[in-house]
Amino acid sequence: MTMDRRTVLGMGGAAAVGVLLAPGVQLIAAPPNETAAANAHRWAMLVDITKCNPACTACIDACRKENNIPLFGDPARDIHWIRKVEVQDKERQRPPFTLPVLCNHCEYPPCVHVCPTSASFVRKDGIVLVDEHRCIGCRYCMIACPYKARSLVYFPTKPPKDGNPQVPIRAKGVVEKCTFCVHRVDDGQPPACVETCQQSGHAAMMFGDLNDPQSEISQRVKTLRTETIRPDLGLKPHVHYQGL
Amino acid sequence: MVLLRMVMIVLAVLMAGTARANDNATSDNAANSLLLANGDVRLQKPKGDACIRPTEWMRRNHMDFLQHKRAVTVREGARKRSESLLQCKSCHPSREQFCDRCHDYVGVEPNCFECHIYPE
Ligand code: SF4
Ligand code: SF4
Repeated sequence: MTMDRRTVLGMGGAAAVGVLLAPGVQLIAAPPNETAAANAHRWAMLVDITKCNPACTACIDACRKENNIPLFGDPARDIHWIRKVEVQDKERQRPPFTLPVLCNHCEYPPCVHVCPTSASFVRKDGIVLVDEHRCIGCRYCMIACPYKARSLVYFPTKPPKDGNPQVPIRAKGVVEKCTFCVHRVDDGQPPACVETCQQSGHAAMMFGDLNDPQSEISQRVKTLRTETIRPDLGLKPHVHYQGL
Repeated sequence: MVLLRMVMIVLAVLMAGTARANDNATSDNAANSLLLANGDVRLQKPKGDACIRPTEWMRRNHMDFLQHKRAVTVREGARKRSESLLQCKSCHPSREQFCDRCHDYVGVEPNCFECHIYPE
């Protein structure tokens, strides 16, 4: 039996509808990236500060490339999804160290609570996103976020020469932030920063599913002494740090 | 009064007639004009053998379809690559000669491509 492309694709559509209409009655399993994000997962990141090299900016560079993030050349207006913060710990007389800071994909995100248009939202798997189609650029979320994770796009941007078509460029006047590279996560890959950090040999960052007790990140968060930034705020951040 | 109205009607009909004649003239003269002889918008011939939905359906519903896909992709995380906007180009390589032709003709300005990259 031969089928043309339309028939095959149409069957795919029918299967997807079947999944939506009758959960439990699944005729053909859809590939992982075609099913909706499920609350079976809880994506999180773990950064080992002791392995983070103060001179290294591999994660930031990888993030800019992966997500087509432009540089405007004005530090006050530049977009940053991930940045490195230098810490001087005078009390414990430690040498200064750096840590990457990005959106913590908080369990109770104040940015989502204040958003008047529901542009900021939490996906079922815990990833906090901005639906830029809806964002009106009011910047309430930027004020609400205690981690300075969000940036407003101040200037119009053009697609970069060798841009990544998987990620849109941005419209002027919307707010954006780290997405945990959601397009990669949906395809079963780790975020670009994590991948680069592993490849660069420092291997300070890792990414995984906290709802899976067998995953490496679950094991490490359980057995090692890990911390989050400002846990006292009660937002339950999901970027965990080791050796802070 | 009746006379005035009749004059107006005759004028209107005449004007419509000239406009039509002009339309025909341009489409006949310029080979790369926007319109075909039968009044259809001239679109780049698609490469593949079939669209992901019947062509007639797509003509009427592609906007609602894309909007729906946008919602389920962004908010639900159901990323069906075979139906992504990026896949359109496997059959319609040029946005200018496919999407934009119709949009220019009917005067709608969808803002998809302010952000989304239509791959080369
Ligand atoms: S870190 Fe900031 S932007 Fe990210 S979820 Fe928490 S409050 Fe929102
Ligand atoms: S700037 Fe956008 S995402 Fe932030 S609160 Fe306003 S509408 Fe929501």
